[in-house]
Amino acid sequence: MTKRTMILATMLLLSAILASGLGLAQGATLNVAWPYQVPPTGHFNTFASGGITLGQYQDLHEPPLAVLMWATGEYQGMVAEEFGWDADGNYGIKMVEGNSWSDGSAMTAADLMATFNIFRLRGDAVWANMSAIEQVDDYSVKFVMDAPSSLAERIILTTNLRPASVFGDIADRAAMMSPDDEGWDALLQELTEFRPESPVSGGPYTILPDTISEANLMMELNPGGFAGDFQNFDMVRMWNGETEVVTPLVANAELHYITHGIPPTTEEDFANRGIDIVRSGMNNGPGLYVNHAVYPLNLVEVRQAIAHAIDRIQNGVVSLGDSGVAVEYMTGMSDGLSEAWLSDETLDSLNFYDYDLMKAEELLTGVGFSRNDDGVWVDDNGDPLSFELTFPQEFADWSAAAENATAQLNDFGFDISARGVQFQQHPQDIYSSNFEMAIRNWGLGDPIPGRSYLQAYNRYNGQGQMAGEGAGAGMNFDNNVDFSGGMVNVFDLSNQSSQGVDKGAQAALVTQLALSYNEVLPAIPLWERYTNNALNRSFVSVPDSSDSIFANFGGGADNWMTTLILTGVTAPADM
Amino acid sequence: MTDFQLLDAGQDALEQALSPKRKLVPAPVENFYKNYYVRVFAQAILTIWAVLTVTFFLVRQMPGNPIDVLIEQILTQEGISYQEAYDRVAASFNFDPDATLFDQYLDYIRDLLHLDLGTSITSPGTRIIDEIARFLPWTLFAVGSGFLISFVLGVILGMTMAYYRDSALDHAMSLVSSFFTGVPNYIWGLLIIIGPGISWNWFDVGAARGTYDPGLTPGLNAAFIGSAIEHALLPIITYVLATLGSWMLSMKSSTTSVLNDDYVNVAEARGLKDRRIITAYVGRNAMLPLFAQLSISIGFVLGSGVVIEEIFVYWGFGHYLFQAITVRDYTSVQGAVLILSSTFVFSNLFADLTYGLLDPRVRVTGEK
Repeated sequence: MTKRTMILATMLLLSAILASGLGLAQGATLNVAWPYQVPPTGHFNTFASGGITLGQYQDLHEPPLAVLMWATGEYQGMVAEEFGWDADGNYGIKMVEGNSWSDGSAMTAADLMATFNIFRLRGDAVWANMSAIEQVDDYSVKFVMDAPSSLAERIILTTNLRPASVFGDIADRAAMMSPDDEGWDALLQELTEFRPESPVSGGPYTILPDTISEANLMMELNPGGFAGDFQNFDMVRMWNGETEVVTPLVANAELHYITHGIPPTTEEDFANRGIDIVRSGMNNGPGLYVNHAVYPLNLVEVRQAIAHAIDRIQNGVVSLGDSGVAVEYMTGMSDGLSEAWLSDETLDSLNFYDYDLMKAEELLTGVGFSRNDDGVWVDDNGDPLSFELTFPQEFADWSAAAENATAQLNDFGFDISARGVQFQQHPQDIYSSNFEMAIRNWGLGDPIPGRSYLQAYNRYNGQGQMAGEGAGAGMNFDNNVDFSGGMVNVFDLSNQSSQGVDKGAQAALVTQLALSYNEVLPAIPLWERYTNNALNRSFVSVPDSSDSIFANFGGGADNWMTTLILTGVTAPADM
Repeated sequence: MTDFQLLDAGQDALEQALSPKRKLVPAPVENFYKNYYVRVFAQAILTIWAVLTVTFFLVRQMPGNPIDVLIEQILTQEGISYQEAYDRVAASFNFDPDATLFDQYLDYIRDLLHLDLGTSITSPGTRIIDEIARFLPWTLFAVGSGFLISFVLGVILGMTMAYYRDSALDHAMSLVSSFFTGVPNYIWGLLIIIGPGISWNWFDVGAARGTYDPGLTPGLNAAFIGSAIEHALLPIITYVLATLGSWMLSMKSSTTSVLNDDYVNVAEARGLKDRRIITAYVGRNAMLPLFAQLSISIGFVLGSGVVIEEIFVYWGFGHYLFQAITVRDYTSVQGAVLILSSTFVFSNLFADLTYGLLDPRVRVTGEK
């Protein structure tokens, strides 16, 4: 190669690099983040694994029917204009007219039919209480229900609508078949392997397939879609990646809002850079689970003593800073749900399990336990209260909670050794009862209170058969609970409390659940996890953190950010 | 026939039967197997099969399965019940956790013999070969470039150190190369992001991510090639920084050893020019040990990018393998391991076969 050729090649290379630097025009762009897979692993079939749904931002391209405003407990219609139960106990939806999908097709009841017929093909839980779906007119649909239920209503209303123009064919064929038919499994396989050529959006923004890279993807305004005609941003840039990947972008002010859980040190760094940390309750957090087949952890007094011997405020702060908020009411659901569903009288009657070592000592001596010469507690058989406490070692906050709880209990006279377990193995150990004490999650990010109890009474207590793994006994807790209010089956209660639509009757069941949990403490809630979503208000304008919208869960359905986008509130800061 | 004759005939037959030289295998087959190239190739295939078989069973012994992993992810992110998460996930996978391992293994080997790597478990219907074709070239480009640059620079700097051994320059370069060797590649990656990226704003951290700019059409056009080079720069720099030191030290050691050989002294005594001595006498011989090291290192190229690709969000083969393991996508892991083990085995085979071409003293023959 001659010198002249080399110079020419170098110049060509430099000009190519410069040319490539000219990216898409900026405009008013909202920069948010959610992890996704790039094609071909990632694809546009949002019913199948690997689909590019974008998590909570799915609302932006496949809009929900309605959003629950958690502060008031009322649903606000989105694609659904009118909705509710009829006199026969069926659920009716009337959709907003005039919206269209990005492929030009009108958004009608056919989309709703297609969406729910695909759910039936997949065997989704909503069909457990539903026998049929009927199209009433071009924009109305009737869900024929076995019985009215708050849970069924929530599942229907928080559904993300999909286009019939894409999924209608498979949905129509599913509607004409039953699960026992010969072609059912083949149709299900056809669905999972179906690959739409391009994304079709019915929300305010649509994914631009050519922009999908491992770094980010762009969503452009979809004027014909739901809420597409009053948006304040021209584009949405969706950055890809988990916490460690998006953190530098937030620090660099390239990414303006994340819902990723960040450690307290990062939170402090963001705060120093003027980035706001938005906290909202998640209705769940880590708790101390015990194996009820291990003596004496099956004794109520021992679990109550443990609850008194752990300073939950310290445990929360050590684990997750200001976002680790100690549980106060100890009802098995979040304090927010307790206050919303329990009467003042009930709240006053609860045992708060304050940090009280004297009370803990009293409880243990009351059942015949004593301390040995080393100050370690021994049970009535003379055996030391020596246990292993396991935790998922990759979860920094849960690890800290486990180590802090271990230290506090050992200071009190227990002999506990903490052991980290690989995070995918840990739940399997719990399901199969292979533990003595463990840190797992209590509660659920769901506004229906009875569902908070599904973790303790179902998931970690004998759900093994559900996953085809054999009958794992989990924490071996007897769901038939004898407490001061009588004998109840708490698993049945938790299911019944989300049935029907009479809030008064539901509250009565929830009260029984809360009181029984508070008394017998099947697992010991430590603290509630609050979001620590980083929001750079220099770029994004949303209401002040005192606004009631922030009562909404910070992730998943009803999350406040997409709700504010769908209602046209979120705007550039300089607008 | 006398008794003695009978005895002799029986003994001959017995000797023939027991003779170690008896041909149990037809001569053409035996000759074919005796062929060195056939034998090493067969060994290579056997090695790959063994690795695949071990991998097949090993990945299935890891905690959880694809369904469990996705359920846990959904539970963490969306706040729905276990039952709902299970319903959603189980129906969307082409995966039967209850199928026997042996049946799965037979299916896998049968498909492999038809050159079919199968489809992804976690993205049903997506062919593994398409996924590998999507990610592999980027790793080959970035790690391969970094590897090549590092090797060439390491050889030149190592020779320089050897020529100026015991000088201040040698000591300084030895110190630097030792430091470079001691710092792992992911630390270099993080330092580059935090220092020049965030603290000093020398480059745009977000824009540097990915393998090329969005909106470009991959192909032989200036914009795409320029963008691809631009995006690969940070990973390449990281690979160079992380491996340069070891090449420098190896080359210095090798060159120092050669410089003391008699033929170099004789060449100098014959009055040959320094340039000729350096290239034809010292350089060529000093590089021989590095050639073997280089060939073996090529095998590690694909596997060495895992952390770097995550740090720079430069998704190549390393990311693909990491993601497949994380979500327990067994078929994808198997596909990736097939590529990895094949690269490693065949790069070693390549080293064996070509070493003799570089070093006339070593000639590999079928008799060896």
